[in-house]
Amino acid sequence: MEQECVNMTVYATLILVSMSMLIGFLAQRSRMCFVAGVRDYILVRDRELLMGMFSFLLTIWLLTSLFYGLNLLRSGVPEYGSPAIATSIEKIGTGSLSMVNLNTIFSRGTAGSMGLLLTSRFFYVTLIGGLVIGFVSTLAGGCVLRQHVLLAQGSMDSLFFILGFYGAVVVYYGFLYRFFISLY
Amino acid sequence: MHMRRGYVKPWVFGIIAGAMIVLAEAFAGFYPPAAYSFCLTCHTRDLVNTFVNGMFGTHFQTTILSRKMLMLTSPSVLLGAFIAARAYAEYRRQKSTRPLYFFLYGAVIMTLGILIFGCPTRIVIRTGYGDLFGIVALTGMGFGIWLATLLIRRRWSRSV
Repeated sequence: MEQECVNMTVYATLILVSMSMLIGFLAQRSRMCFVAGVRDYILVRDRELLMGMFSFLLTIWLLTSLFYGLNLLRSGVPEYGSPAIATSIEKIGTGSLSMVNLNTIFSRGTAGSMGLLLTSRFFYVTLIGGLVIGFVSTLAGGCVLRQHVLLAQGSMDSLFFILGFYGAVVVYYGFLYRFFISLY
Repeated sequence: MHMRRGYVKPWVFGIIAGAMIVLAEAFAGFYPPAAYSFCLTCHTRDLVNTFVNGMFGTHFQTTILSRKMLMLTSPSVLLGAFIAARAYAEYRRQKSTRPLYFFLYGAVIMTLGILIFGCPTRIVIRTGYGDLFGIVALTGMGFGIWLATLLIRRRWSRSV
């Protein structure tokens, strides 16, 4: 039993490692970046990276729609995996918090849940957080995936980016956790 | 357009990576939370917190999935990209111009990424899964990029 559990851990980790290595390899070959697509389109009307983002989005949408239908993915489950957060944004209602297929969002009567959405603080936190992430990523020259690729290509700017990236975890949970939890 | 050797079109990347990410959750059991089979911010958070918890006995937040496996996503992406850069002779060491700025950029993106549960990649993944807050975050991200391009344009027009 114990042995089986260890094996599961090793296999799952190996799958994750090989998948991430393949994604890193392909990201290096394609210069893929989820921020630069929009940036390049606005600045120089270059659609290539934007098409990468759209094909990524479309693939995931089609496959998840299929798998929700086949019951291979569980829809309607709490998404964020943290009990503290699930309780602090409970008033939004579990319906809009759970993972649902886009079809069900549009077919459901959304007037009520939209009102609740607009009064929840998590909505504004997500909107402003996303805005700042987009702004800062563009200034840094690429999204997090792109910064990993640039570091692997030898950019020392990205090395400092990744150092800040790892260091912020300890600072966040060591000192800032209570403040940020109060934002939800 | 000038084509590099071994160039992969970004839309090909999108299809392969997107398919792998969904298949990993459906068949390899990367769950819960949902839409969690690839995220650089969240997986790095889990990795660092697992080590810190192990070393100092703290109780920093980790997800349920990260108690089943080791979230080596970020180092693996680095390794894969490094292999690609070496294999196609694109590894070039470039000196850092503004180390403090980039350190702060990284710290800000990690902090906000923990706050809204996702790096730009996972924001797109969540949108694809049909999460309302993923769409909200993606909209915000679009506005942020647009604001930053205004700044870049101003810098360009000043330097010309």
